[in-house]
Amino acid sequence: MQTETKIGEPAKKSLDKFNLALRMMAGAFILFMLVSLFYLYVAVGSSWGLVAKALFDSRILGALWISVSSAFIVGAIAIVVAIPTAYVLTYNNFRGKTLMETLLIEFPQTFPPATVGLVYLLMLGPGSPIDIAYTYPAVIIAKLYVSAPFALSFTLRRFREIHRTGLDVIAESLGGRTRHVLFWVLIPLSAIDLLGGFSLTWARAMGELAATLIFAGAIQWKTEIFPVVVLTTSQSDPPLALAASLIAAVLSIVALMIFKWIVGRRR
Amino acid sequence: MSELRVENLSKSYGKMKALDKVNLTVKPSEFLVVMGPSGCGKTTLLLTVLGVLKPDEGRMYIDGKDIDSLRISERNIGYAPQDFGLFPHLSTHDNVAFGLRAKARGKSEVEACVAEMLSLVGLEGLEQRKPSELSGGQKQRVALARALAINPYLLLLDEPLSNIDEITKAEVKVNLKETVKRTGVTTVCVMHDAEDALELGDRIAVMHAGRVIQCATPTDLLKNPEGELVRELLHHLVKIQ
Ligand SMILES: Nc1ncnc2c1ncn2[C@@H]1O[C@H](COP(=O)(O)OP(=O)(O)O)[C@@H](O)[C@H]1O
Ligand SMILES: [Mg+2]
Repeated sequence: MQTETKIGEPAKKSLDKFNLALRMMAGAFILFMLVSLFYLYVAVGSSWGLVAKALFDSRILGALWISVSSAFIVGAIAIVVAIPTAYVLTYNNFRGKTLMETLLIEFPQTFPPATVGLVYLLMLGPGSPIDIAYTYPAVIIAKLYVSAPFALSFTLRRFREIHRTGLDVIAESLGGRTRHVLFWVLIPLSAIDLLGGFSLTWARAMGELAATLIFAGAIQWKTEIFPVVVLTTSQSDPPLALAASLIAAVLSIVALMIFKWIVGRRR
Repeated sequence: MSELRVENLSKSYGKMKALDKVNLTVKPSEFLVVMGPSGCGKTTLLLTVLGVLKPDEGRMYIDGKDIDSLRISERNIGYAPQDFGLFPHLSTHDNVAFGLRAKARGKSEVEACVAEMLSLVGLEGLEQRKPSELSGGQKQRVALARALAINPYLLLLDEPLSNIDEITKAEVKVNLKETVKRTGVTTVCVMHDAEDALELGDRIAVMHAGRVIQCATPTDLLKNPEGELVRELLHHLVKIQ
């Protein structure tokens, strides 16, 4: 038998100093990012009995329901509004377009969520003609503002990419109108990106705290979400706080891995 | 069988004059080759006629009707870009059916027309293949079938031979002209190679720096090249003959 040289497997190189430095820096950062998750695991382990009991606390189950359902609704709404918005931003040029994109995509990610909650509370809270403060719709609205930009930025980037290929023009030359270009070309070719946008929006909505707390409050089984449970019980009831953190962490990791798996299969 | 008339067409990108008062008439069922060096404005001419680019000045008529105010989707012009522009997520069948479905033709009409087009370009049996599973020559034929399926007034082909390997090029060339001639569609075909142009064109419009400097049949072009530029472009070919 002859040994074959496989293409694609680089020969083992002895590590030079710079390469070593890169690895060490990467290692330090990876450690930093993973240590908190590991610590959560340790902390839960040391009081597992109490945490296990708290997992089935009604407050936890309520937060589970509100967090997960609202994050899904927010993800779905975000995709539904991202598509027309990305379409308009791809095909229309107008003054102030860059500013508008900044206000729609980057700004909401840097605007302090507490401020977002406050604005909604003043605008749509007690004393305003429409008062939806401390309701489930308030949870959706607060989370949507903070997380929808992920869906929009994914969709917009992909629509622009497709526009550059000229496939939209081909569709038009064949007699395609706006709806054909959108439903037969742009959306099918963006399926993976829409899914990616949905999953990041979902994950961001799961983690959102301040805007939701201020605008929607913390009413059990109505508006109270995981991060709020952690915030309000970390002093008074540490096992409950840990149980909420554990569920939130596991849920996010599992959901993100499932999304990635779906995206990977479709590619 | 339609006639295309282009009058005084100009188009600039910033200061760059890509089209400079272009005048052209393509007769019904004619296969006109637009030939010229890279960057002389050939693609710009096609995209302006197609309606993607708005001309700075000039008029375009199909059968005497001004098409300036018509949207791309209303012009009924078949177009195959240089990279063929096949929809990567659709099968050969669905690529060819795209225009018919967009025009809301009935199911049986769509099926009959797709079958006719695929047999016209000789692609029977490849209906279910995705573009990524086709060779360059096959992609070109799908693009052609798709453009012809809408029964266009006019067919625009941008360098149909440039993404075909040398070995199959001769065959593709013959097939292309034959297919187009069989449908009788008026065609504007862009090419940069003088030899291909002389072989395929009923007439050839020679472009340089945004202008059409001569438009004539291959024989006339070889016999009476107008000006130094045309002579230069045809120089090595004239020597061969
Ligand atoms: N979108 C554009 N913006 C600016 N300049 C362009 C653009 N498209 C083409 N050009 C320029 O216009 C000229 C004509 O281009 P084109 O019509 O593509 O030439 P050809 O198809 O004959 O190679 C070239 O000099 C090219 O660089
Ligand atoms: Mg070109």
